[in-house]
Amino acid sequence: MKSVRLWYKKDGLAIYTSHLDMNRCFTRAVRRAEIPLWYTEGFNPHPYMTFLMPLPLGQVGMREPIDIRIEGDISFKEIRQKLNAVMPEGLEIVDVSKPECKPNEIAAAEYEIIAGFADAGEAEGFAAGAKSIIDSGVLNAEKRSKKGVKNVNLCEMIRSFEIEAAETNIHIKTVLAAGNTVNLNAELLLSALLSQFAAETESLTIVRTKLLKEDLSIFE
Amino acid sequence: MYPKELEKHLLKVQKPGRYTGGELNSIVKDKSKVDIRYAFCFPDTYEIGMSHLGMKILYSLVNARDDAWCERVFAPWNDMEEVMRENDILLYGLESGDAIRDFDILGFTMQYELSYTNVLNMLDLAGLPVRAKDRTALTPIVVAGGTCVCNAEPMAEFFDITLLGDGEEVTNELIDLLKEYKAKGASKQDFLEAAAQIKGVYVPSLYDVEYNEDNTVRAITPKCGAPEKVEKRNVADLDSMFSPTEFVVPFLEVVHDRTTVEIFRGCIRGCRFCQAGFLNRPLRRKSPEVVEEQCRAICNSTGYDEISLCSLSTSDYKGLETLITNMLPWTIDEKINIALPSLRADNFPKELMERLNAVRRSGLTFAPEAGTQRLRDVINKNITEEEVLSTAAQAFAGGWTAVKLYFMIGLPTETQEDICGIANLAQAVVDEFYKNPDKPKGKGVNVSISVASLVPKPFTPFQWEPQDKPDVLIDKQNYLISCVKTRKVTVSRHVPWTSFLEGVFARGDRRLADVIETAWKKGCKFDGWAECLKPETWEESFAENGIDPYFYTARRREYDEILPWDHMDYGVTKKFLVNENKKAHKGETTACCREKCAGCGANKLNGGVCDEIGKTVV
Ligand code: SF4
Repeated sequence: MKSVRLWYKKDGLAIYTSHLDMNRCFTRAVRRAEIPLWYTEGFNPHPYMTFLMPLPLGQVGMREPIDIRIEGDISFKEIRQKLNAVMPEGLEIVDVSKPECKPNEIAAAEYEIIAGFADAGEAEGFAAGAKSIIDSGVLNAEKRSKKGVKNVNLCEMIRSFEIEAAETNIHIKTVLAAGNTVNLNAELLLSALLSQFAAETESLTIVRTKLLKEDLSIFE
Repeated sequence: MYPKELEKHLLKVQKPGRYTGGELNSIVKDKSKVDIRYAFCFPDTYEIGMSHLGMKILYSLVNARDDAWCERVFAPWNDMEEVMRENDILLYGLESGDAIRDFDILGFTMQYELSYTNVLNMLDLAGLPVRAKDRTALTPIVVAGGTCVCNAEPMAEFFDITLLGDGEEVTNELIDLLKEYKAKGASKQDFLEAAAQIKGVYVPSLYDVEYNEDNTVRAITPKCGAPEKVEKRNVADLDSMFSPTEFVVPFLEVVHDRTTVEIFRGCIRGCRFCQAGFLNRPLRRKSPEVVEEQCRAICNSTGYDEISLCSLSTSDYKGLETLITNMLPWTIDEKINIALPSLRADNFPKELMERLNAVRRSGLTFAPEAGTQRLRDVINKNITEEEVLSTAAQAFAGGWTAVKLYFMIGLPTETQEDICGIANLAQAVVDEFYKNPDKPKGKGVNVSISVASLVPKPFTPFQWEPQDKPDVLIDKQNYLISCVKTRKVTVSRHVPWTSFLEGVFARGDRRLADVIETAWKKGCKFDGWAECLKPETWEESFAENGIDPYFYTARRREYDEILPWDHMDYGVTKKFLVNENKKAHKGETTACCREKCAGCGANKLNGGVCDEIGKTVV
């Protein structure tokens, strides 16, 4: 038995698949690809498959990790080819590797956000306003966690933040806390900013581009 | 793929995956290269529709043709409907995102009477008039199939065509015909008249219905050459019948999400309340080799790890042991569970049962349906108390601690004693548990009983019977609860009003069209969902149209009354049904087909042959 880390890209129609549904979807893909999965022992054997970082509904992920355990000899290249041959639209294996880092080393994630506004003026105003709020270091919002709803200062979870307006769109590139202990959903950040200006977007794309470790080096 | 305008709204609705399409094995074609675009419409949510085997079969069947493209359409939930109406988005096919208004055939599958208002709502969301006569163009033709169309009269004003019986052959014939008539620029009327000549096709507008003073039917008269009786379609050979090798694999969790293969159609049992059992006669069987091959193919193309072998009464399948024994090696190897729904625990070999993981997980269920032997004889449910108890005892010895029992109330000739008998039978099962010397230590037993209400259905021996009114059913339910003396027995009951409305439509006639339309206009939809059902609105709608709903449910019909569905022919003869009804009232049983052919008449659809007896019967 050996552990393998699959890296997948999720975009297109697949972004409407919830984290819970992804698990079933991947288990089936691995079965269709006839990857020799390792199963737990016992009365009701099930394959080992762990999604390292849930990707919220509606967001694009460029390189998201899943750990699986396999049996037998099969090369990383073969795993990738076999899986991509049976993947549903919008899901693609971009890499297969040995798990280099431990799952709990994930500490941050980089996002690129594009939001469209009704006109260029509104986009520009929002970009300027958002920048000054983030610079001020205080943006309070209600955050849901397992322990209930809490009012927190989102700025404490922001590692970097750049925003610019281009015609009716704004582009954000930001690094946010991610992982089991502290995690900031990019959508929450954006909606907190929008509510400060009672603004509404016409379109919105949130892309998680990479997962990072505490020192902001890449999580492998 | 959804329409572009929907993009920014998708994340505002619950479960957006219901509306996006793009699932594995969904089929996208080049629309410029097909002649017929077919929308398979399921008048309920995505999760329910995607669990329906008939949809999977017809989807693959139509898409196997190069000249046609079949897409799926489900009823949008209320939140999505709001988004669509606010933003002028028309109901679309999940595969292309194109408005189904521009398709050639909209094919509804009607499994449940309480989805009638959803049909109207879907037509309206598609931007089409709900009444057939107001859709004057040749296309889209609105077609319906499925169980409910054995009496489609309440929906006769809305559907252009209904298809009776097995859809596998007739769907292709209808597509061929429409292709021809479309090419020659024919009118809708010409097409409908030609379609009515195909066996199994019913065109409601080609029949005039007259009523007597007392509102019963006086006459049903065909016109324009339509047949006097519409005979249902019957696929003679299930082995060579089209059967899919791929299922669309949903991203979302749906009700049944697994490999499903039919093992036979029809039923040998003859339970007198069971519509499916009579509508699908005669019995036709798929051979075990074909079943196994189809299971393998679907598992391979989907990655499913569960197989359901389905039929109306799985343990009656000749060759079940062989089939399971052949399938066990590879299913165990590939970690696939086999589920056997509709299993009668009484005649299934114990050893095999023990090897079936899935059976173990899903728990033990029995359907005695009635609480006393007398009443079980009336409904011809030939399962005895001893059988229930001995199988339960075996199961308890094997470590089970939960049993589920299914019953019905509102059965003909039912007395308080019969209702109390339900509680007594449940109690006897509980007692059986405590008699077991090896019962698991420290564990209690849980017997749950589920109580449905009888809805007398067309083409059953009970089609003439009165149906209990909701208040009577509530009294009976309460009486049953008062008879349960232990906490080890839990009772779950159906909403009587739901059964009432189902009963009105099941045996209704064309005069109900106005009621359905009124109720829909007042906001009724998803009537089968307890949280959506609006009894007061329905009551208003009946009253406004001067219709007494109890006329359809509470009345005993005479054997010689012309029934609204008398021009439909499902094979089983009226004479047989009358005889069964009389026997029911005398408490006489009828042997199952395996013991003795009861002469139901359905074998005439199969050239005189019934698989169950293997030879021509007279
Ligand atoms: S023809 Fe006879 S054996 Fe066949 S379904 Fe009818 S009663 Fe049963």
